[in-house]
Amino acid sequence: MKQIIRMTALALALLLLCAGCGRGSSAPTGAGTAPVGPSEPIVLHILENDTAKAEGYLDALIAAFNEAYAGKGIQAVDANMDEYTDLALNGPYGYGPDVLYQANDQLMKYAEDRHILPLAIEELDCYESTPEAAWDAFRLSVDGSVYFCGVPVNIQEPMLFYREDMMPENWQAEWDDDQNGTADFFENWCDLYAYSASIRESDPARYGFMASLNNLYLASPFMLSYGSYIFGEKDGAVDPSDVGFSAGNAVNGLSALRQFAALMNEGCIDDTITLNRYEKLADGSYFCTVSTPDTYSLFVGNLANHYMGEGMGEDEARARAEANLKMIELPAKMPADGDLSQDSAGAQWVDTVVMGGVNGYGISSYTKHREACMEFVDFATGYEMIQTRVEMLGIAPTRQDVAQVSGDTADMIFDSLASGRICLMPSVKAVDQIWTPTQTVMGDVAKDPFRAAQGEPQKYGTTEALQAALETIDKNVYDAIHTLAG
Amino acid sequence: MKWKRFADFILTHAVLIVVCLIFFFPILWLVLASFSRTGSIYDLSGFFPKAFSLSGYQTLFTDTQMYDYPNWLKNTLFVAVLSSLLGTILVILTAYTISRFQFRTRKVLMKSTLVLSMFPSFMGMTAVYLLMVNFGLINQLWSLVLIYASGAPMGYLVQKGYFDSISSSVFEAARLDGASNFTIFRKIALPLSKPIIVYTALTQFAWPWSDFILPNLLLKNKDLWTVAVGLMHLDETQFTRFAAGSIFIAVPIVILYFCLSGFLVTGVTAGAAKE
Repeated sequence: MKQIIRMTALALALLLLCAGCGRGSSAPTGAGTAPVGPSEPIVLHILENDTAKAEGYLDALIAAFNEAYAGKGIQAVDANMDEYTDLALNGPYGYGPDVLYQANDQLMKYAEDRHILPLAIEELDCYESTPEAAWDAFRLSVDGSVYFCGVPVNIQEPMLFYREDMMPENWQAEWDDDQNGTADFFENWCDLYAYSASIRESDPARYGFMASLNNLYLASPFMLSYGSYIFGEKDGAVDPSDVGFSAGNAVNGLSALRQFAALMNEGCIDDTITLNRYEKLADGSYFCTVSTPDTYSLFVGNLANHYMGEGMGEDEARARAEANLKMIELPAKMPADGDLSQDSAGAQWVDTVVMGGVNGYGISSYTKHREACMEFVDFATGYEMIQTRVEMLGIAPTRQDVAQVSGDTADMIFDSLASGRICLMPSVKAVDQIWTPTQTVMGDVAKDPFRAAQGEPQKYGTTEALQAALETIDKNVYDAIHTLAG
Repeated sequence: MKWKRFADFILTHAVLIVVCLIFFFPILWLVLASFSRTGSIYDLSGFFPKAFSLSGYQTLFTDTQMYDYPNWLKNTLFVAVLSSLLGTILVILTAYTISRFQFRTRKVLMKSTLVLSMFPSFMGMTAVYLLMVNFGLINQLWSLVLIYASGAPMGYLVQKGYFDSISSSVFEAARLDGASNFTIFRKIALPLSKPIIVYTALTQFAWPWSDFILPNLLLKNKDLWTVAVGLMHLDETQFTRFAAGSIFIAVPIVILYFCLSGFLVTGVTAGAAKE
């Protein structure tokens, strides 16, 4: 009898354990969702970025889609995952999203490994109104055939953020030589350098332009404005075997980077300024800094907090912060010889080139509902939703019909893209390998002005040393792509 | 002589105070940072924030749209409590068996577990992930409980040492009175082992409570995240929230410690048997 009771108890315990571990709510959350019955709606798991979620755009998008498709048996839900969840890791096992929103380099990295689907873009509503340059960010060439693996939504480039109340009082007289109503230090890098130097002279605790100079994206003007490039082209496709950071007069840009570092603090060597820029701009320690348009709300929030700390009410602080914080493009002209200390009046210029990216939607290869995903992407990139996205998130849309009515930032970025002042991140997997080698060398060059204070000799005092550093980047990127990555 | 004792007293206390300050300062810094008004790690005047407020703690529990800390806390509690219960039972049973019973593979088992426990747990993460995928246990809090509990008996040596220290005459006396193995374990071994059971429960609770690698690997959905995973995913501008979350996560451990510390007494076995 005792044996029977024991065996029954054991069986019950095992049963309970199995019940606890059953699939239940843990069934694959996204692309691997089991087939649904005829009466059940198709559920699409949508992965958006955190900003869209925090500002309520994702909720608005999902609500609008679900309302529009209520009768068609398709339902969208938040994938509820980390915004940088790894589709390559989770997708094959059925735990990735069905539709994901990412930057072009990320989406195309997945595309090369077949983790996202090529799309019939001609069927989309946004096809005609999106410029070719934006589509090209999602173009994949395989064996002579061209595929498009993403649908552009918005375009990004590093922007200059500054506090208007920290402009010099007499800037129209002192800092607007051409009297065009724009301060010279927002038009060329020599005057930005000069104004930054004057701020340091008047108060050593305050700084002018501040940026993490080891960050290729944010400090791209120094790396890409002098004839250098990331990857070359071969037969109309990106050629990762041709790495061109040292091409042209790139050494002038690196020299300018080293020069500007001397006006910053040691935070420019690493990510310190990227992390503290919101707070330091708000408290007036920095006059201006560089960031992407999607961080605008963070700058405003920090500045509003600063005002509230001074005793201002929340609404008033917010309104004042929004009025005071300005976001513009980086100065358009760099000195041709890379010498920032020269008088801008007699300088020869080259156009500033910055690195940019196109964010868009991709569809997971592991989804079981391709057509429904396509319906969702078509809806999310339609005029109304992009218009809503612009209003809620302040993005620069790639849909030109929306850009025409959405304001200056989009126009500005489109003009720069058309004129070649934005170098889009190459849409190949190899782009993953450019960040570390450039970060290492740029950080080391930015450290040079601070070496003397530490009793170390400077490493990059000559053009030859800077050129060698650039060639080291090329070699390390090449090795990372072709040797180390197998 | 008095001089020597006084100098010894001063020196000992000076060293202790310095060591305490070294250990206490980072905690103090984190506590003060959790009260920073701006939320930024860079809003510091020297070491400490310029302005203080409770907003870090307030947003931790009220602003749950992006970072649902109460839910993370609930998930962590579920995993830690069940892992602690199951793990403690398994460890105590393993240790008691190895300590009290002689069987053919006993030595082999002991040596094997000793060698296996020397490998870091993260070595098997890829295998664990693939196993969990095949068992359909990804995105399941239960999967964590099973892994923590099933891995716990590998660390049975401390508990075995404790059972070894209990006089065998107590068990022999019970055996002479006709008690079965289970009765001896239940009525003799367990009451004498309260300190080691409490110690085991605390350690089995603390590990899942603060682990990051395993939950990060197995839990894909944000609403299943544990506190450690959630805090690691906070935005770079949310330092005050991170600090407040880190401070608050210590609260259950401290409460548990104070509740159970009464059981952590030694000498329970003293006088239990007449030699």
